[in-house]
Amino acid sequence: MPTHPIAPLRAGARFPDFELSDHAGNRRRLSNLVAGDPVVLQFFRGWWCPKEQAFLRRLIDLQDDVEVAYSRMISVSVDAPEVNAALRAGLGARWTFLSDPDRAVQASLGLRETTDTLNDPYVPAVFTLFPDLTIHRAFDGYWYWGRPTLDELRHDMREIARAIRADWEAPTP
Amino acid sequence: MSWCWLDLRAAPADNAGAQARVFERDGTPAGWLAVWLRRAKPSRSARRIDGRVVDGRGAAAWLSLVRPPDGVRLPFDDVAVQQARRAVLAAPPHDAVTTLLSDASHFEGALTVARGDGVARLADDPFARVFPARVLRVEAGLFGAVPAPCGPTIERYGSAQPWPWDRYDAAPS
Repeated sequence: MPTHPIAPLRAGARFPDFELSDHAGNRRRLSNLVAGDPVVLQFFRGWWCPKEQAFLRRLIDLQDDVEVAYSRMISVSVDAPEVNAALRAGLGARWTFLSDPDRAVQASLGLRETTDTLNDPYVPAVFTLFPDLTIHRAFDGYWYWGRPTLDELRHDMREIARAIRADWEAPTP
Repeated sequence: MSWCWLDLRAAPADNAGAQARVFERDGTPAGWLAVWLRRAKPSRSARRIDGRVVDGRGAAAWLSLVRPPDGVRLPFDDVAVQQARRAVLAAPPHDAVTTLLSDASHFEGALTVARGDGVARLADDPFARVFPARVLRVEAGLFGAVPAPCGPTIERYGSAQPWPWDRYDAAPS
């Protein structure tokens, strides 16, 4: 029986520290992008998918919180950097988009959506990560309702931040 | 905490850690840009920058140097400065960018380093909407390239750090 693609990337596992080109064509390693902050790591099918367009617009609504909350967002697809750059600009996204056009990282992660033989995209998935790339929670977005709500992402960011910020409780005199 | 200082001077400095000649767009000499890596402020007009932008092996580049008029400064949290940071993250990244500071609470300018296709976009430097900008050409040996921040964080990692330095000095993992 085949393993579900998201299954090995379960809570508590360490996410592989892959390297891909960003929307400007620069090579970027996941751990360097994450640095010391909680992260929302999103894999999406591509610009053409109406479900992805709807979900990315949802993430745009989260951006105003994330930009002031010492947290990060990263989106990954098989689209080329210039396509992701155009999508990012059209959305008004201010986080990093990574491109995997040769699908090497997709293969190493086992995140290929096997039911789409036309585009060979990533299976839609969202992971919330600790700074050391430990997975806090994994969301399988193959069915749209499997994706996290913004409240679920906010909840995860709070739990990770609480765990990693030594001064989570405001210092007292 | 960055203790890297930058100043635009009429003549070379005797004690700078690195410096290079700069020119106006028409080739007219515009002085010397000098940097110091030390705690003490080297000159009245020097401002602190993100030390990662300094690279003695860096190629010649074009700069957008944004400075307030004498006696003028804005809080770093001024909405105009916030919006400029958002605009920098939204646009394709330049080779390097750093804000200029002299204390923990005020924005006192910005430096953007561009090469290649990015040079034409210097005319649309978001920080130039806050204070006046000069576009200058700098000789080799002073500025390198720094990976763009992951985004979408616009806050500083400690009020004494020049944005977009993107991590606490000792981030817990």
